[in-house]
Amino acid sequence: MKFPIRTLLVLLLLSFTLNACDSAEPDHDHAGEEELITRVVVTLTSGTDTITATANDPDGDGTGFEIDPIVLSSGTTYSGSIALWDDVNLENITEEIEEEDDEHQFFYTVGGGVSDRVDVSITDRDSNNLPVGLTFDLVVSDGGPASGTLNVVLSHFDDQPKNGSDRSDETDVNVTFTISLQ
Amino acid sequence: MSVTTCRLAGALILVMSVVGLPTDSSAQSVQGRVLDEERMPLPGTQIVIPTLNQGTVSDEEGRYFLDHLEPGTYIVEYRFIGYKSEIRTIEMKSEIVVLDVQMVPENVYLDEAVITAEHQKEAMLKRSTQSVTVLRAADLDSKSGLTLGETLKDLPGVTTLSTGPSISKPVIRGLHSQRLVVLNAGVAQEGQQWGGEHAPEIDPFAMARVEVIKGAAGVEHGVGAIGGVIRLDPPDLPTNESISGRLMISAFSNNRQGAGSLALQGGPKAIRGFGWRLQGSMRRAGDSQTPDWVIGNSAFQEFDGSVSLGIEREAFHLHAYYSHFGTTLGLFKGAHIGNMDDLLAAIERGHPSVDYTFSYTIKAPKQTINHDLVTIESQFRLDTGDWIEAQYGLQSNRREEYDAHCRFCEEPGKKPAFGLSLTTHSLDLKLRQKPRGRLLGVIGISGMNQTNTNNETGYLIPNFKALTGGIFTRQTWVQGPLTLEAGMRYNYRWLEAYPRDSVRSGEFTLQNHTYSSLTAVFGAVWQFSDHWSLASNLGSAWRPPGVNELYNFGVHHGTAQFETGNPTLGGERNYNVDLTLRHVADHSVAEISVYNNQMTGYIYLHPEVDPVVTIRGTFPSFIYSQTNAVLRGIDGLLSHDFGDRFGMSVVGSLVRGRDIKSERHLISMPSDRLTLNGHVNLPTGSRIRESEFHVETLLVRKQNRFPAEIELVEPPSGYALLGAGYKGAFFFGPSLIRFSLDINNIANVAYRDYLSRFRYFVDDPGRNISFRLQLPFGRS
Repeated sequence: MKFPIRTLLVLLLLSFTLNACDSAEPDHDHAGEEELITRVVVTLTSGTDTITATANDPDGDGTGFEIDPIVLSSGTTYSGSIALWDDVNLENITEEIEEEDDEHQFFYTVGGGVSDRVDVSITDRDSNNLPVGLTFDLVVSDGGPASGTLNVVLSHFDDQPKNGSDRSDETDVNVTFTISLQ
Repeated sequence: MSVTTCRLAGALILVMSVVGLPTDSSAQSVQGRVLDEERMPLPGTQIVIPTLNQGTVSDEEGRYFLDHLEPGTYIVEYRFIGYKSEIRTIEMKSEIVVLDVQMVPENVYLDEAVITAEHQKEAMLKRSTQSVTVLRAADLDSKSGLTLGETLKDLPGVTTLSTGPSISKPVIRGLHSQRLVVLNAGVAQEGQQWGGEHAPEIDPFAMARVEVIKGAAGVEHGVGAIGGVIRLDPPDLPTNESISGRLMISAFSNNRQGAGSLALQGGPKAIRGFGWRLQGSMRRAGDSQTPDWVIGNSAFQEFDGSVSLGIEREAFHLHAYYSHFGTTLGLFKGAHIGNMDDLLAAIERGHPSVDYTFSYTIKAPKQTINHDLVTIESQFRLDTGDWIEAQYGLQSNRREEYDAHCRFCEEPGKKPAFGLSLTTHSLDLKLRQKPRGRLLGVIGISGMNQTNTNNETGYLIPNFKALTGGIFTRQTWVQGPLTLEAGMRYNYRWLEAYPRDSVRSGEFTLQNHTYSSLTAVFGAVWQFSDHWSLASNLGSAWRPPGVNELYNFGVHHGTAQFETGNPTLGGERNYNVDLTLRHVADHSVAEISVYNNQMTGYIYLHPEVDPVVTIRGTFPSFIYSQTNAVLRGIDGLLSHDFGDRFGMSVVGSLVRGRDIKSERHLISMPSDRLTLNGHVNLPTGSRIRESEFHVETLLVRKQNRFPAEIELVEPPSGYALLGAGYKGAFFFGPSLIRFSLDINNIANVAYRDYLSRFRYFVDDPGRNISFRLQLPFGRS
């Protein structure tokens, strides 16, 4: 009886030893295909004057997150647009939102000392005639210098129905730009 | 081929070749195994030769050994409370007489709860100095169709941590996940146990016995057994028996779940000692429902199977076991939130934002988990009478998590957001000493090799390789009513991980860690009267930090916490003292345990002052840190029968957890709970062998001890749930058919348990009516 058992033990040990030497090097080519947004660019145009402000979170995890300030002129109407990028996977997210515009909506909220001086109204509509917010008008009324904030939220509507006025529980983007009026 | 790796493997082989024992040419002896009615080992059975005033106790494998016998004829008596005493006459002619004995419970057709209670006697024996609860086949059958976590949750000292209705994992005395060791058919389960939402990948249908050891058990069970051990064993194989089988079916109303299991087994006469079993089971459930809402996308389905082969001879056992576990489970859609503001909005709302309709469809977010286990176990007896045990285990665990939506695949649910594949080889060698005088014990070495790789998509736990080794001994000294136990173990782990500098970009860096520790246990059991015993255990256990604790980086879904690992973490160690009072009499059983579990280097998520601000919004930030903590508590079971008709039982658990350094309560400690059960045995006859009606109340207090600085909202209110059921067994031809009908949460109470991770979003499931049927066939 002993012979087979010893053989078995030796075999078990051998298999253990051989397998102990597998490699676990990471695969560099295929990592991070998760849903990700790293850069938001707001473009505001008034005549020949074009302002761009970027919020850049290179890894999407807050490390090195930088947000440009926005400087606007009083008494001016800007036509605005927003573009989203995933620079890790080199994806244009704006196109994705255009394709699924009935599942997304941007919410622009003006705060601080500019809340009664700046007005944002969404100009584009999805197939259900509900606002999307990839394009918008931004109106700055007359007055002296002031400063405040522009908060941009992108809500994703999956199961939750989009009604045009409420946000969802799934926020894809939430960025606050500082605004100064000149 | 890493040098360290192969050095360790070489050391294993070296130790192996050294294990050889001087032969002891003892006088004549009788030896064998004591088995219970399910052919499972019955440790702690007293084996006595009254005329010689000589005796011994069967060991953990049910084995016994009596030597130095003169030639002649003897009467040997086998005694175990709750079982009929067996008497055998042996004639000592040859040098060794082998005698296996199967014990029969005293009251087979009486109330099963009584038998269960009698089985608790096993824990009362001199075998365990720790608090142990055993679930036998009958107990498991009465919960068939449930997940492992759900199956264990009513035991004293045990609760569950759930992530929706499809995921529940056991919590022993406030500790879970990497602080527990789960032994699946003798092999330490190595799945992706990185967090509270990863349940053990084990099918309770395949198991005949579950043993829960509470408290530090770091000597024999190795790293991680800080909170305890859950040991699951499939049934022993039949020998010399024709083919038989069993079909089990269960149905549940709440999630319209159906579950079934079919087992076939046999032991052909042609091969002496050979037996086999084939078993397969499946579960399919739709969305669970609270009293007011459907928990959208909480459906799941599971397919499991196992094959077991074995041969048992006098001096040689060989078993091979293969099991597959495969599940696909949906995660409640309403818990898929974007950032902290979204979470606060969902909490404020208090109910799902969508009125879901019931469905069996599993959509993203979902998980698919496959776990395969192959184990080969061999035992053989040396000439000295000692046994050598060797067990090899190969486990492959594949986990894929699908995000609610992915931008780069055609359809969510087609491609996982990330996938992890963990392969584990383990080898355990033990020398189980035959009793020498009053001493018996075990010496062992174990080794484990683990490799984790990420699939082609995402990246959550870094790729890593780990080698773990240990050497231990545990010795037990028995004299009359007193049993003393001492043990020691040395552990070593080498870890090589390939984390990134930051979560999504950044370079891969190679990091090496080594951890080692010494753990020890001292215990005593004193049976101070026929019906009472007192046990005490001072145990220490240890675990190295988990890979997630070292390298996690990112937002935890459903809690909006930004969690950051800490590569400088050291090991976590505990010093657990417990005291257990046990009582077993004809009509009552009691086991009450108090404990103080002191932990040094307790790994936890420390809240940072500043939140993490990302492009997606703001998240509270947590970093894995270490502190000193203490967990104290009391748990127990009391059961009493009033005559043959009525019986009642009480099970209670109370845990207190404190962070000593910051003087805060520990987060996520189970609420105090009490289960009251009453039952009536209805008259039985020759055809109806069992008929019992029972009612049950579960009372759970609100958890008022929580760290207010960390917890987002107050823990949910306490709750009371009422249940009732009927179970019966009747003969249909030669087959004894068992069935049961149970209603849980009769009043359809809306409640949330503090340890339900979805308590922010939705209530726990409401009323549930379940039906179970068991049909044996073949031999009966």
